[in-house]
Amino acid sequence: MVKNYIKTAWRNIRANKLFTVLNIVGLAIGLCVCIILFAFVYTELNFDNMYSNSENIYRVNMETSEEYDFEIWAELPNAVGPAIVKDIPEAKKMTRLIKDDFGVTASLKIGDKNYNENGLYLADSTIFSMFDFKFLEGNSKNAFLQPKSIVLSQSAKERFFGSKSAMGELITVNNRDTLQVSGIYADLPKNSVIDCDMVYNIKDSWMGTDVYWSNASYETYIQLQPNTTVAQIEDQATDLIDKYVDKDGQYFTKFFFQPLTKIHLYSANVQDGYSTRLGNINTIKSLLFLSLLILFIACINYMNLATANSRKRSKSIGVNKVLGANRGQMLSLFYVETAILVLFSVVVGYAISFLTLPLFRSITGNDINYHDLLATPILIGLLIIWGVITIVAGSYPAISMSSISPLLLVSKSKKKNSASEFVRKGLVVFQFSASIILIIAVTIILQQMTFIKNKNLGYNPNGVLAVSVKSAESRQQVRSLTQNLKRQMSIESVSAVQSMPGLNESGRSVRKLSTDVVGMPIKSCRTEGDIIETLKLNLLAGSKLPEVISEGDSIIYTLINEKIINYLDYKSPNDAIGKIINTELGGRAIITGVVANFNYNSVKEDIGGYMYYKSNKAPERVRALLIRYNTQNLPQFMGNLQKTFNENMPNTAFDYEFLDKHVAQLYASEEKTAHAVSVFSVLAIFIACLGLFGLAAFTAEQRTKEIGVRKVLGASVAGVTTLLSKDFLKLVCMAFILASPIAYWIMQNWLQDFTYRTPINWWVFVLAGIAAVFIALLTVSFQAIKAAIANPIKSLRTE
Amino acid sequence: MNSMIKIKDLEKYYRTEEVQTVALNKLTFDVKEGEFVAIMGPSGCGKSTLLNIIGLLDDPDGGSFIFNGIEVAGFNERKRADLRKHNIGFVFQSFNLIDELTVYENVELPLIYTGVKPADRKKRVEEVLEKMQIMHRRNHFPQQLSGGQQQRVAVARAVVNNPKLILADEPTGNLDSSNGNDVMQLLTELNDQGTTVIMVTHSEHDAKYSHRIIRMLDGHKVTEDILV
Ligand SMILES: Nc1ncnc2c1ncn2[C@@H]1O[C@H](COP(=O)(O)OP(=O)(O)OP(=O)(O)O)[C@@H](O)[C@H]1O
Ligand SMILES: [Mg+2]
Repeated sequence: MVKNYIKTAWRNIRANKLFTVLNIVGLAIGLCVCIILFAFVYTELNFDNMYSNSENIYRVNMETSEEYDFEIWAELPNAVGPAIVKDIPEAKKMTRLIKDDFGVTASLKIGDKNYNENGLYLADSTIFSMFDFKFLEGNSKNAFLQPKSIVLSQSAKERFFGSKSAMGELITVNNRDTLQVSGIYADLPKNSVIDCDMVYNIKDSWMGTDVYWSNASYETYIQLQPNTTVAQIEDQATDLIDKYVDKDGQYFTKFFFQPLTKIHLYSANVQDGYSTRLGNINTIKSLLFLSLLILFIACINYMNLATANSRKRSKSIGVNKVLGANRGQMLSLFYVETAILVLFSVVVGYAISFLTLPLFRSITGNDINYHDLLATPILIGLLIIWGVITIVAGSYPAISMSSISPLLLVSKSKKKNSASEFVRKGLVVFQFSASIILIIAVTIILQQMTFIKNKNLGYNPNGVLAVSVKSAESRQQVRSLTQNLKRQMSIESVSAVQSMPGLNESGRSVRKLSTDVVGMPIKSCRTEGDIIETLKLNLLAGSKLPEVISEGDSIIYTLINEKIINYLDYKSPNDAIGKIINTELGGRAIITGVVANFNYNSVKEDIGGYMYYKSNKAPERVRALLIRYNTQNLPQFMGNLQKTFNENMPNTAFDYEFLDKHVAQLYASEEKTAHAVSVFSVLAIFIACLGLFGLAAFTAEQRTKEIGVRKVLGASVAGVTTLLSKDFLKLVCMAFILASPIAYWIMQNWLQDFTYRTPINWWVFVLAGIAAVFIALLTVSFQAIKAAIANPIKSLRTE
Repeated sequence: MNSMIKIKDLEKYYRTEEVQTVALNKLTFDVKEGEFVAIMGPSGCGKSTLLNIIGLLDDPDGGSFIFNGIEVAGFNERKRADLRKHNIGFVFQSFNLIDELTVYENVELPLIYTGVKPADRKKRVEEVLEKMQIMHRRNHFPQQLSGGQQQRVAVARAVVNNPKLILADEPTGNLDSSNGNDVMQLLTELNDQGTTVIMVTHSEHDAKYSHRIIRMLDGHKVTEDILV
């Protein structure tokens, strides 16, 4: 019996070559997208579950006080970890983790070569056992036995030392510490949020030895005893705040234990943290949704083409039933047919997924590889997809067609199956609504991206280069480098800063009265040089920071933004000039100038208080030179710049970043979303058009006789084409009417994320509608014209 | 001889949106085993409707229909299908061969549904094709055959299961007279071998092959001509 089903099904599939090809192409594309996404989602969902203690490891996060807007921070004071392990018996181990110099690229000197390094961490030695470090040379117990030891990942070792042995070699970090290689460990798995390239002992630094409850910069991981109730431990940990911190210093109020396996996907509400390997569960959900939508659109093609074809099939169904086939047998036949077709599609889709993987990677910036596509769960997933798609796509046609009555054979009236026609139309409307929504979404997303890029940020990041000087061996080095740079023709302005906008400022508070407990959190950034000129800030009142401060001057000169002025209740910027300001900087701080608010952060975020300051006794160091340049020949300029840099700072790697690129980077994830949605919408429309093409072919075929008669009676080609296209265009128009409000609502919500947003223009909708109609017309008219220009005599002879 | 079919006060209505058509109106008659009956009457008088009910394709709205001693009026679709596939063969005016299957496969189909083993199937199909003199066309598709040949395949398919009853609705309606006579000859032979045949026809010529002609008008029997 089964053999028979397969034989018959196979014949039917072959008999309808056009429908078969349209279906396989559509389904294969949909499946390809799904397979790649499943592989991606699979790796995303399996972050950090490979460690032997994964289940018992937590990252401690804390909630800040009202003054800091109750934010959740992943970086804690370095006293938290040791206190928890000391006071809570269930906490067996902890490691603190901090990127060298709070996350700024480190400059390494190895032999006579300089390198930039982004993955240099300080940690407690317990990190090795908590995160199953596999030592290839040296071992986890002895790695930090000697002071000033450092361990490297295999790939870091290869980058610096090639095939030579690295054990015992010396590495100088930021011209400050010289460390000795004491171990090499296998690269951490790529599904680990811990992404250390190299680790040295936090206890070799003041960061590990000066334990305090104030500065919060340290990620803290705790390993609990198995089967511990986490909520209880969280409470006990929170109690430690009262025990160790006096009321005034309590700017954080609560600790949370975030399971290790949740860090990768569920950290959107958590500030900071050092891992570069963060995902977002919402991105995953939307990508999954979109890929399933595309797959469903492809399934609809199958449903529509199969049922449209049912009139052709009804005779054979009727005959089979007369001869004794029951409904179940007919159902099985249709399912077998669907299953065969879907099987082909799965195979083709799987094959294309290998071919398009590089494309996918470049569009989304994900790093899944061929190996991920071959993983067993994906193969099992394919089988499941096969079954599910067979049922989803096959059920409606199977149920509707197997119920065809054998009486159809004997009845003379070939009445239309209006119910299935209605469903079919509904499904086409659905497909095109989804496509139109995607077109509108893409257009608005792209508009918003352009809007953001062209928004006046309040400063000009274009033509500014940030060069790292944090590893300078002396202040004199920085000063002479600055002097030498200022002499260059193509350099307009140079400012030394603690941080480029939005990256590494210090968090401080401004208070109205020095006795106030609560103030306004602000970002403060030490600077030397004319920052107004370098960043093209808009000076509203007062003057720029003084170029030189005399030796004994203890005043802190500040340049603040309007936000702070408003908080301090000055009526106008001018009123503030020369006034004293409470800044936690110590000493006497006065307001030298006021600048207009500028978007130092992503424009998704509100602008807060911001302060540049200059003082003889600044607690922070300058880490970068911001250089405003104007050149026609960038490569030559960069060459000169590097030469000057190397002459002045011979022991430091030349590390630079363009400020405008840095700003663009803030919108990388939106950029990725835009790309992904564009691709998805193109695919959705393409697949929907495949279906429309098939339906049009079907209608044209079905109406061959009618068209012939009309032509004999004098209808023109244009007239017949219109006749055939009209019905489909009606559906697309309905889809447009349905899609517009939904798209409006979705995009309205999406835009809520941005403080500055583009208005939603009506013409976007009109454009999307016209595009959809145009594409549909193109698709349908091909078939319509083909039918219209056919010789009527020929078409009348069929039947 | 036993009555194979006993029909009493049979009724069938068709309801469309506006009107209700009475297709069968208190129709009563019997058919004995081994009989060859022709049903005649003007277009629309209910002949096909009757044949569909006798063929267990459709269910009457009233009256009684006893087939082989069992009351089948009111049987559900599954039971009817079961009874049908073992007992009844159909021959249609428009042949109704499945275009995607070869001659051989078309004839084999009923055997598959009645669960005959593949080896036996082959024997049976070949036997029947031989008898219908269509064996040499066994691997052709229906569209490659003439109308007469197609109807012979259809008859072969109708008899392959050795049904007790063959129903033919205007079996010669789409054929020229010589092909038509061939088909009537086949039905007569089958009847001679003991198969009961009920045939709807518009042709007095064809009706002469039967033993008895039932004439219908507006859904009921008006006269009966006994020929044998
Ligand atoms: N599916 C149906 N729906 C509504 N009315 C029907 C249906 N089938 C048949 N009828 C009506 O029932 C009556 C009997 O139809 P039937 O097909 O049995 O006639 P017939 O005697 O076979 O005619 P013909 O000689 O033209 O084949 C007719 O009036 C017909 O219009
Ligand atoms: Mg009829």
